[in-house]
Amino acid sequence: MPSTRPNDPNLLILTSLASGEKHGYALLQDIEQFAGVTLGPGTLYGAIARLEERGMIEPAQKSGRRRPYRLTATGAEELSDALAEIRAIADEGGRRLAARTGVAGAPA
Amino acid sequence: VSSANGRRRRRRLTPGPNTLLALFPSAWRRRYGDELDALILDMHADGRDTGTRMRIDLLRAAARARLRGGGDPSRRIRDGASLVLWAWALFVIAGAIVAKTSEHWQQALPGQAAAHVAFAVFTVIAVIAAAAIFGGIAIPAPAVWRLLREGGWTRVRRRVLRASVLSATVIVATTALVTWAHRLTVADRNGHDHLYAAAFVIWAALVAACLLAWTAVATRIATDIRCDRTVLRVQAWLAPAVALAMAAMTAAVLVWWAVVGAYAPGALTGGTALAHPSPVVPLLALAAALMVFATGVAAVGAVRAETAHAQL
Repeated sequence: MPSTRPNDPNLLILTSLASGEKHGYALLQDIEQFAGVTLGPGTLYGAIARLEERGMIEPAQKSGRRRPYRLTATGAEELSDALAEIRAIADEGGRRLAARTGVAGAPA
Repeated sequence: VSSANGRRRRRRLTPGPNTLLALFPSAWRRRYGDELDALILDMHADGRDTGTRMRIDLLRAAARARLRGGGDPSRRIRDGASLVLWAWALFVIAGAIVAKTSEHWQQALPGQAAAHVAFAVFTVIAVIAAAAIFGGIAIPAPAVWRLLREGGWTRVRRRVLRASVLSATVIVATTALVTWAHRLTVADRNGHDHLYAAAFVIWAALVAACLLAWTAVATRIATDIRCDRTVLRVQAWLAPAVALAMAAMTAAVLVWWAVVGAYAPGALTGGTALAHPSPVVPLLALAAALMVFATGVAAVGAVRAETAHAQL
């Protein structure tokens, strides 16, 4: 399962591929656009290799020297689980922050 | 001149992907090298930073890929365990050099507890680590037997024959050397008889070659066997344990060397006390360097096995 750190390369790649297949440079640009994170080429391909090995992504038809990748069913499931965890943490954080603000703002 | 400088600068800024890609494991390069090269050229064409930061990123990725190894988790655990076995073989050779140079040092240095403790720690851990290595080799024995019966013998036959011939040669050479040694004085056995010294070096080289030949047999078999999860888990647990043991033994030898070198450097040559007053004995330095190198190799194997274990 990918890490629940929002800047985890595995999570970013799976999220990017959720909207359709992309090759290396398209992934890089998309991740920059939606997450504001610039992955280095080595980091990107290290993560691609790990994800492919775990069956979370698969290569599509090569076009020239570029090879697009797409999400597999396993990858979609793993991404969904990771996002649910992140959502649960975000919700819990939001609740706690609201409660804290409520206490701080309560009349003495 | 300015134009030439500009060209040079541009050339320097060109990523030089082939040089950096060469650092990745060959299997990784065959699979992803072309795509990664295309990505770097795309980035370069787009005017992105392809300088130092990118080079560091590629270096880090190459180191990770090498540490991690390739293939499924089972393969990576077996590869990691094989690396630890190679490292252990080198460590044994280094340990034998230490054992030779440490003969009789106790008599020369009776009062230094640190040296005695360090040497005892080295000996005890060596026995435990050797037991772990034998355990690691014995546990997959049923899988090895299955592999040999299913046609694996033809793939290892040549290596086994080579190791067997070397073993027979070592037995004959040991018998001859021991018979010769019994006819010599202690001084002759420790360097005064040059012919015997040369024969001893040849015998030691034969023993080392024999050890490495059997290690090659074991690691070749490890490439092909199909182990169940329990065996793989044990291997993944033993690999870091042996690597840690090697690190501890290296530290113990360095402490022992420092203390003996400071108080009785003559004892470091094994039986020729005061013949060599310097604490820097080339053979011991070689052994220490070999131990450090072997520990590094074992650490790589241990990391590979341990990271794969998490995905098993």
